[in-house]
Amino acid sequence: MRRWLLALPALLMVVVFVVIPYLNIVVMSFRTPSATAIHGPGFTIANYARALTDSLYLGLLADTLLYALATTSISLVLAFPVAFHLARTESRWRGLLYAGVLSPLLTGVVIRCFGWIILLANDGLVNQGLGLFGLGPYRFINGVGVTIALVHVFLPFMILPIMNAIQSVDPHLAEAARTLGASGRHTFFHVTLPLAVPGIQSGVVLVFVLSASAYIIPMLLGGGRVQTLPTVVVQQLMGGLLWPFGATLALILSLTALAIIGVFAALTRPSMQRVR
Amino acid sequence: MSRLTIQGLSKAFGDVVAVHQVNLDVAEGEFVSLLGPSGCGKTTTLRCVAGLETPTTGRICFGDRDVTRLPPEKRLIGMVFQSYALFPHMTVAQNIGFGLDVRGVHGSEATRRIADVVEIVQLSGLDARYPRELSGGQQQRVALARALVIEPAMLLLDEPLANLDARLREEMRFFIRSLQQRLGITTLYVTHDQSESMIMSNRVVVMFGGCIHQIGSAEDIYHRPATREVATFIGQANLIPGRVVEARDGTATIDTGLGRFRCGTRRAVDVGSAVTAVVWPEALRLTNGSDRSDLSGRVVARHFLGNLVDYRIALADGTIISIHALSGGAAPTGEAVSVQVDSDKAWLLP
Repeated sequence: MRRWLLALPALLMVVVFVVIPYLNIVVMSFRTPSATAIHGPGFTIANYARALTDSLYLGLLADTLLYALATTSISLVLAFPVAFHLARTESRWRGLLYAGVLSPLLTGVVIRCFGWIILLANDGLVNQGLGLFGLGPYRFINGVGVTIALVHVFLPFMILPIMNAIQSVDPHLAEAARTLGASGRHTFFHVTLPLAVPGIQSGVVLVFVLSASAYIIPMLLGGGRVQTLPTVVVQQLMGGLLWPFGATLALILSLTALAIIGVFAALTRPSMQRVR
Repeated sequence: MSRLTIQGLSKAFGDVVAVHQVNLDVAEGEFVSLLGPSGCGKTTTLRCVAGLETPTTGRICFGDRDVTRLPPEKRLIGMVFQSYALFPHMTVAQNIGFGLDVRGVHGSEATRRIADVVEIVQLSGLDARYPRELSGGQQQRVALARALVIEPAMLLLDEPLANLDARLREEMRFFIRSLQQRLGITTLYVTHDQSESMIMSNRVVVMFGGCIHQIGSAEDIYHRPATREVATFIGQANLIPGRVVEARDGTATIDTGLGRFRCGTRRAVDVGSAVTAVVWPEALRLTNGSDRSDLSGRVVARHFLGNLVDYRIALADGTIISIHALSGGAAPTGEAVSVQVDSDKAWLLP
């Protein structure tokens, strides 16, 4: 009974700031549109019918998920070696490396986006550098720039959980595998990687959710050429004042992301159970 | 099974020399333990033999095969770690079968060999369990089985009993030793526990500060320690300074604060030279003080050890010595006692 009381403040926060707003969005998504108010009278399912039948919105949903998937995969590949090194190194530079990993989180996302715009613009540093080798200029302020920035910003959320997972694994396990005759490669795929699964799972979920719901990065680095569901939702709310339809699109994105995470969790469940 | 030869092995980590010029031969089927305090280089030496560390200088051979530059997976060794290092995501059978699996031994052949080794370590019926579901002693047996199933040329054990409770440790000492003798496998065993090394090994290698101080049988190490460090590490040696009054082949008579007594020695000593004698607590006796040569002292502490009583006795000159006497005749703390040294049971340090 008393232990339950300790959870009360957190529970209250969740109810007030998560559950109630979400319920509000759910109700809003069934409202009718209005030109003069936030919503019209009565309820309808027309918003859902429109969002789920119009290929424009389905295409946007697919694009959004594709960006999230690309960002997650690239982050995973980039993060693993860094996480592994950070978890195992005894170097005196460890603290500095750790700070380096956290550095994307130290400035606001808008500032970082402008940084990338300066680097990736048609006459930016990257194109100037490529020009030295007679290459380019390439256009980066599009899906490519968006993906680069998404990876940069969300990489720490992949590195930190994987690093934690590897740190909690006895370093003698990999050595034991080697003494038993396993090559470095075999050891990695059959011992190190399976034991890092809990960290990989949290990292993947975090980065996938964060990049699927990213708004500022596609806005700024897409150069107007990239549309994702979050950018369109904001257009509906701010530009068109279509709150009910905006709420519908937001909910569809949330539910789809949730479903994908559910499938992912189900797929990784057997290897998670073995590690626990 | 093979012979192990270590020649001029040194290993430095940056500026820190962990192992310095170690030479060691382990005969086929021999059980040799590396004994010393933590940080003495024993584990680093073992890890060099396993291939988990690359020696800075020196050579390691299994039989006639130079393995110095070979990675661990090419050496055909069975290693047991202090933490056991069982794979937590694999069952007992999968753990034991790991070394077979990577060697391409599958199916009925693998099943048979796993069953054989499970029988050897007396671990039947746990195949489908995960390591976390086993007791410390069972995990230990799985680790042994996993190391033995690949029929290694050599068994390397790094403080394998350190995490077990006292009773189980006792049992596993004899179990590992008899298993090793039955299989006739060359074994290198790292421990900081002197009684463990003496009970289990053919020969004990005592290391301090990265160097070998002595290699010998348990009796050798105990009765004829090569250095002061060996003497004090092995037990509660009383180190008694004195002066040689008579030297003959292999013995010397010395004058000390404990009186005059004869010691064994391996080196020639000059009459008149200052020396240090090792006198074990059991080479000293409490007497009734009838003999003129007896020393008087006072009991300052008394510890009951079961079959023995350990007395700390302060002599007239302030020296504190320790004496082991059979339980029975009790001298309480504070009592004045007389002490006599058993001649010929002492040993001169070089």
